Amino acid sequence: MNWVGLWTLTSREVGRFFAVYRQTIIPGFISSILYILIFGFTLERRISTIDGIPYTMFIIPGLIMMNTLTNASSNTSSSMLQMKLLGQLPDLLQAPLSSFEISMAYIIGGTIRGTVNGLLILLVGITLGGISVMQPFATVGFIILVSVAFSSIGFLLGQLADTWDQLATLQNFLLTPLSFLGGIFYSIKMLPDWAQAASFYNPIYYMINGLRFTILGVSDSPPMTSFIVALIMTVGFFLAAVLMMESGKKIKQ
Amino acid sequence: MTPAISIRNLKKSYEDTVALRGVDLTIGDGEFFGLLGPNGAGKTTTINILTGLVRKNEGEIEVFGRDTVSDYRFTRSQVGISAQEFTQDWFFPLDRLLYFQAGYYGIPRAKAKDRIEELLNRLGLVEKRKARLRQLSGGMKRRFQIAKALVHDPNIIILDEPTAGVDVELRHELWDYFRNLHKKGKTILLTTHYIEEAEMLCDKVAIIDKGRVIKEGTPKELTSQLGKAGITINVSDPGEELESCLKDFTYTQDDGRLHFTTQDPEEALPEIINALTRQGCHVQRVETTKSSLEDVFLSLTGKGINE
Repeated sequence: MNWVGLWTLTSREVGRFFAVYRQTIIPGFISSILYILIFGFTLERRISTIDGIPYTMFIIPGLIMMNTLTNASSNTSSSMLQMKLLGQLPDLLQAPLSSFEISMAYIIGGTIRGTVNGLLILLVGITLGGISVMQPFATVGFIILVSVAFSSIGFLLGQLADTWDQLATLQNFLLTPLSFLGGIFYSIKMLPDWAQAASFYNPIYYMINGLRFTILGVSDSPPMTSFIVALIMTVGFFLAAVLMMESGKKIKQ
Repeated sequence: MTPAISIRNLKKSYEDTVALRGVDLTIGDGEFFGLLGPNGAGKTTTINILTGLVRKNEGEIEVFGRDTVSDYRFTRSQVGISAQEFTQDWFFPLDRLLYFQAGYYGIPRAKAKDRIEELLNRLGLVEKRKARLRQLSGGMKRRFQIAKALVHDPNIIILDEPTAGVDVELRHELWDYFRNLHKKGKTILLTTHYIEEAEMLCDKVAIIDKGRVIKEGTPKELTSQLGKAGITINVSDPGEELESCLKDFTYTQDDGRLHFTTQDPEEALPEIINALTRQGCHVQRVETTKSSLEDVFLSLTGKGINE
């Protein structure tokens, strides 16, 4: 195992997003504050509570999850595509680094960005939304677990994509709609039956509800189901991303 | 002695083209080796398979006797490559990029420090150490590319078009630097479009065309075997006996000019002049033409290196 190499590439990945924090950390922070102010405080007059939780507090776990998974996936996907397009990838592929070490460094980088962003929104929720976290360790653990899953998804997509347009398409037409439809702003009990049934096929629904349970103690899905779905996604996409790198498809000729 | 690089029957096809049809090449430890060939001949593919960027279809490559696939950690640690294409980076300054590069090769920051400082100094990059790559001129980018290849102090250095697009002064500076590396015992594999560069620097060259090595040897061997060196002498009053006195030489005659073909004009010239003088010919003018590696390249591949 080339530990120095793994550490170097990981610190590069982390250094990269901290170097452009105005693009990678601040936007999620600001948009979450706006969601809380605009959606929370205005809609709370109409929807005072859901499952006994004030509406502003109810939406915070969803905002954390949306921020976490968007940042985790976009860190790995954009970094990998950027490396390809800027001609930096040969530096890694010609070095004595295994494809597993390269994959790990990318996925850890994305996980850190997802977790940092998630925790930042959690802080916003505590200070601005007045929430108190019921199971702090489980909350942090769940944020990390989902960050690994989406960091792996991003790494997979970054390897597959050839253009920025392809990445943006996946982000705009898949991740964002699935996040919004996963129940950030509502409980699925408020939906018609068919929409409730459809939500069960949306993995982000389980992510949001799992986190909501650790923070607020309420959830549309059973907590164990949420955890198992998150775990399966994490393991599945981690393996897929690493095996894709190992195969060298779209990376090596 | 184990060769630095040993390539046997290397084959590679892309979807619709055959890039390598069985390349065989042995590069000795400490050799300055030139790989020449027209565009698309297979030079870059060979290098890319050696360094792990491209997967081979068939054949073997060994670095110091160890397989580049099964023993990639060792073989890659032995090789430093200065690619033809410049890398770009938007985020980090030059010195940080060099620390990253060292780290990928397993060298921790503290250990890499002296080496990086030395390279920044030797390659004239000290003042630019905090610059971003996009702020550098072409020449500076080339220096950085070379520094990056050398950061882990490799025993084998691959220089892919290392002087492409640089001015004459820097080209000479880089040549001196490469000669120094060679003197220190480094094995250097050079690909270049400047044949005179290979002729001047390399102990040995191989000419590759259509995915095969078609000729290999020292520049001198190749020019003397395949070159067309010649001597042209203008004489007055050739006389009728000329033919018998020049019977040992290959020549043609037209209008008082004698055209000799020889492999070694320096050696043949005094003998020819002695023979002509004995015959009573008055030598008026002598011209010698010596063939270059470029002539050899042209005669073997049928085209110039830039075609």
